[in-house]
Amino acid sequence: MKITRSLLPLVALFALGSAQAQDASAILKASDKFRMSADNLQVETQINIVNADGTPDKERKYKVFAQQNRQSLVIMQSPSEKGQKVLMSGDDFWLVMPDSQRPLRITPMQKLLGDASTGDVSTLSWAEDYAGKLVGEEACDTRAGARPQTCLHLTLTAARKGVTYQRIELWVGKTRYEPHRADLYVLSDKLAKQASFVFDKPDAPTTVVEMVLTDKVSNNKTTRIKYVSRKERQIPKEWLNPQFLVRGGTFE
Amino acid sequence: MRVSRHLVIGFVGTSALLLLLALSSAWAQSAPVPANEEDANAGFALPAVTGQIRLLGNDFHPSMRGPLAAANALQPGIATQTTASAALETELRTSGTGWNLTGTLQQQALPGGSHPNRAWFNEAAVTRDVAGWSLSAGKKIVAWDVAYGFRPNDVVQQETRRLLVSTLAEGRTVIMAEHFDVDTAWSFVFANAGHARSELGAREPAYAARVYKRDGAADWHGFARYGAHTGASVGVALAWVATDALEVHGSVRYLARADSKAFDTRSPLIAAVSPWQASTLRRATQAIVGGTWTHESQLSLMVEAWWDGTALSPRQWDAWRARNTALSALPRDAVPGAAVGGNLAWQSEAFSAASNLHRSNLYLRASWEHEGWTPSVDLLYHPADNGRMITAALLWKGDRVQVQGGVRINAGPAASVLRQLPTQQQAFLAATWAF
Repeated sequence: MKITRSLLPLVALFALGSAQAQDASAILKASDKFRMSADNLQVETQINIVNADGTPDKERKYKVFAQQNRQSLVIMQSPSEKGQKVLMSGDDFWLVMPDSQRPLRITPMQKLLGDASTGDVSTLSWAEDYAGKLVGEEACDTRAGARPQTCLHLTLTAARKGVTYQRIELWVGKTRYEPHRADLYVLSDKLAKQASFVFDKPDAPTTVVEMVLTDKVSNNKTTRIKYVSRKERQIPKEWLNPQFLVRGGTFE
Repeated sequence: MRVSRHLVIGFVGTSALLLLLALSSAWAQSAPVPANEEDANAGFALPAVTGQIRLLGNDFHPSMRGPLAAANALQPGIATQTTASAALETELRTSGTGWNLTGTLQQQALPGGSHPNRAWFNEAAVTRDVAGWSLSAGKKIVAWDVAYGFRPNDVVQQETRRLLVSTLAEGRTVIMAEHFDVDTAWSFVFANAGHARSELGAREPAYAARVYKRDGAADWHGFARYGAHTGASVGVALAWVATDALEVHGSVRYLARADSKAFDTRSPLIAAVSPWQASTLRRATQAIVGGTWTHESQLSLMVEAWWDGTALSPRQWDAWRARNTALSALPRDAVPGAAVGGNLAWQSEAFSAASNLHRSNLYLRASWEHEGWTPSVDLLYHPADNGRMITAALLWKGDRVQVQGGVRINAGPAASVLRQLPTQQQAFLAATWAF
């Protein structure tokens, strides 16, 4: 009897923790909907990289086929990258360079290479890749002059290998769970980037139209990922075969 | 001066071509916008043309060693050695549903006023889907196998490896049938249709097949090829992502016969025709194993070791060195210099006996990507004679412009094969503008 009584607080703590995890998971799924509005999407994306002094550095255009079960195909559209493709299928990644016409197996770490991390462009949801934990309530934006608004703070820990970031600190709205900002940490637990989100309607957001990433590792460059258009589209299953990517012709 | 003038002419020609493309593109954009998708399909729109212009300069420092240098010392000018070159290349790409076209225009400028021009299609192929199979015909790059420094199972394209500047290869004429599902791909190819049976290497008519299977973190490949005169070869390859940072790969191929060059042992020391003749090598194996490790700081290290049983053996190279020495030691008054020089020059044909100079090879490469800059250094090492080929390069990538330059040096003992090559040192500079 004594033993049972002494275990009660532990059981209660476990139950509370479990409920919080469930809450965090539901919040994360709701937050993802602001970027990934359907299971299968075709997203036209424009990326502008801006130097620390505000001068433009690079512009890139990507066509992203974000599909269910953590699969996505990124087709580079800019002149300097034309013909380049990246395929992600679960924890596996392939790269096709136009000169080689040969799909190359790449590691999650190689996915970080390049102007804008392909992981940032192709990953539109976090719920499947991360375990969330509700930390508490905090200000959505801590910058001076920002609109006072309280957010829910979640800590996301990678639940599988191959994700671009090992840990994410995420702040979402209390009512709609729209993502406001995120701190993105790589495997060494170093803060790599800080993300903020721009919505279609600031007062009643329904979708993220832009994600702004600030590089915190080296150059303080800002990467603006603009979601130019989104439409529901399920691509043929063979498009997710790396060998298909060098078949020739367009991916329309 | 003449070099510069011809490059200017090439640049003007390329600019005119680009202007034409820009006008056609503008015309396509100014065409009335269709009201709906059906109208769009019914209308005619020019496909977009993209590409790049590359200006490439090379400076070659000839070797003071080796048979070609000895031949030129005996008989100046008997073997030409390029000391510098420049090229302007325009690569144009366009594609549509079921077809793609890529072509290159090249204008070269060589010392002595030579300025050869060339234009070729890299790819010109159509693809149609019939009963679950993808059928292709035309000129196409069919690049198979894993690995970087050497690809034993690249049995169709047979791409030249470890080039200083990566360029789009020229495809092979193929008829192809492929079947894809999510994890598996089957490819059947008839390459070089219409070529003579006696054509060598990648130009030989051949049937080839590949099966690809994805198994989690591993990609498995199986290969088979049947050449018109080289017969059968089979191979298998694997690429495996072992950890978040490490990828390992391996490839092995067994060939019943392979094209090579061999020294005719019946040939006298002073021969009237080249003693190095095309030959067929029987029962050879090629294999490579390697891996790439990448750190989150964007530093990458690659190590590869390979065996090429089609390359000349250490014993053949020893015989080759002995013949070089014997030719150079001939008394000048007994044999005409032109005869000795010619025979020494023929000795350089051994360099092209196979895609690798030596059977055993070790390759190391380190590169670091940082804020648009990519410095890299690599080493090709031949354990058989301690020869070393060292390349250091620097690449800068801007929005549309890319500039790269570097130097490749052959080092090691004076008797090593790499030190006997006609070029001792090569410097290059390339600038590319994408449009």
